[in-house]
Amino acid sequence: METNNIFSFRRLVLLCKQSLILNRKMIVIALTGFVGVLMIAMFFFQAMSEFKNWQNRDSEVVFVSLFITLGILYSGLSFPAFRSKEKTMAYLMLPATSSEKFVFEILTRIIVFILLIPFIFWVVANIEGALVHNFVPELINYKFSFVETHTIKSAPLENEAWITFAIAQGILFVFIAPFTGASHFSKSPLLKTLFTLTMIVAGYFIFIYLTFKGLSLNEFDADKNHILFITNKNNALIAFAIAATILNLCLITISFFRLKEKEA
Amino acid sequence: MIQIKDLNFGYPRQEPLFNGLSVQLEAGSITGLLGKNGAGKTSLLKLLTGLLHPQSGEVSVLDHNPRKREVAMLNDVFFVPEEFYFPAISISDYVKAYAPFYPRFDNEMMGRILVEFELDGKSNLQKLSHGQKKKFLIAFALATRCRLLVLDEPTNGLDIPSKSLFRKILAGSLDENQLVVISTHQVKDVENLIDKIIILDNGKVIFQKTIEEISQKVSFISGNSPEVSGLIYSEAIPGGYRLMVPGGEEETSVDIELLFNAITNGKKIG
Repeated sequence: METNNIFSFRRLVLLCKQSLILNRKMIVIALTGFVGVLMIAMFFFQAMSEFKNWQNRDSEVVFVSLFITLGILYSGLSFPAFRSKEKTMAYLMLPATSSEKFVFEILTRIIVFILLIPFIFWVVANIEGALVHNFVPELINYKFSFVETHTIKSAPLENEAWITFAIAQGILFVFIAPFTGASHFSKSPLLKTLFTLTMIVAGYFIFIYLTFKGLSLNEFDADKNHILFITNKNNALIAFAIAATILNLCLITISFFRLKEKEA
Repeated sequence: MIQIKDLNFGYPRQEPLFNGLSVQLEAGSITGLLGKNGAGKTSLLKLLTGLLHPQSGEVSVLDHNPRKREVAMLNDVFFVPEEFYFPAISISDYVKAYAPFYPRFDNEMMGRILVEFELDGKSNLQKLSHGQKKKFLIAFALATRCRLLVLDEPTNGLDIPSKSLFRKILAGSLDENQLVVISTHQVKDVENLIDKIIILDNGKVIFQKTIEEISQKVSFISGNSPEVSGLIYSEAIPGGYRLMVPGGEEETSVDIELLFNAITNGKKIG
């Protein structure tokens, strides 16, 4: 029988089934914990706003904070097999290709999170809101909707597609950077990733600062002397979106090759 | 089945471990890989299974380059490392989670070996002793019916009855299409089990012969004195000496420990 050595959907399904068998207790505990903490946090914040001042936008602030924080923590736990030599050996010897193992990691650590957390938040926020409203009628805005906040706009934004794309790439970067860090570092990957990113960003700003000082670029008039093709805010936005996309693709590629070339 | 040619390998910032190492192994045998501590036995096993990558040279396992870790190879290779990790799930759940990846997995054999090793399918793997975990992993490895089984110190941590059970089960569970490579320094544990010996020393294979070839060429006898004509090697034991002498008409069972000591002390046979 010919074996597909590149990608098999059947083996990807096997990886998912395997993960469910190995982690079912952890999944139940994590979901229960998340729902519980979310309910308590929502109630706490609503109480802080004396219930009557609570708005849909406030729920969204809670969501964004949770989504980003948990996303960083969760994607920082990617490639759990790489945390010890014994686990790495078992993982690398499992009969599935690097591409299947990689897709499985992306799927469970990024895609499922991005799709599932907003849905869980929406369900929990509405249940919690209804429950609290039952006992505290002052909570008037207890129904939560993602759509409501975004439909109230003063005027359509110029280049909206690029804005959405740039935001999406920015959010993806928040997930992909810890994901790549987890593929690279064996011990404390999230801490090391944050440290590395801080070093890169700080190094970049120091370099820019010194360059400006050394070359007297502070006399450069950005409005008159445009840098390359960036001639206005729109171009800057497009440049950011493209740069973020390239960066994300590079990080994804790096993590794939870290998995493919991993030794134990 | 396994072909290694001019293999060079070393760890970063260390002396090279293998310099031009060459080995060839065919199916249908249980090969013992012997060597002193640090000779590179585990590293060689990891190179065979694709867990380490050679610096140069050719490694071919089942006509695959292990470095690529292709599924066609991984389907047919099972590595039992000396130290391993198990998730906190039951034996039966582990089998459910991992067995579907091995196309020839034999559930009936798995059940039979678990019974022989006195392991309960409901037991949680993390609550088992090290020896019990190892017995489970060996049982799983055999049930995969992989063509290449690589066992690193398989008897470490097993009690005395389990060691003899291990020999019995391993010998009774293999067919002529399978190759087992066992790395061990507890040679007594694999006596009467292995049919080929490879000895590693200073990054090279210094000895590679079948038990049949060895027993045709040398005999292993006990005596009161090391002064025997044609003596190749001797070692004092309580009450006398173990002697390795040129083979006579009568074949003796191979004393692997004595043979290993003789070879690593520079003695040659045949």
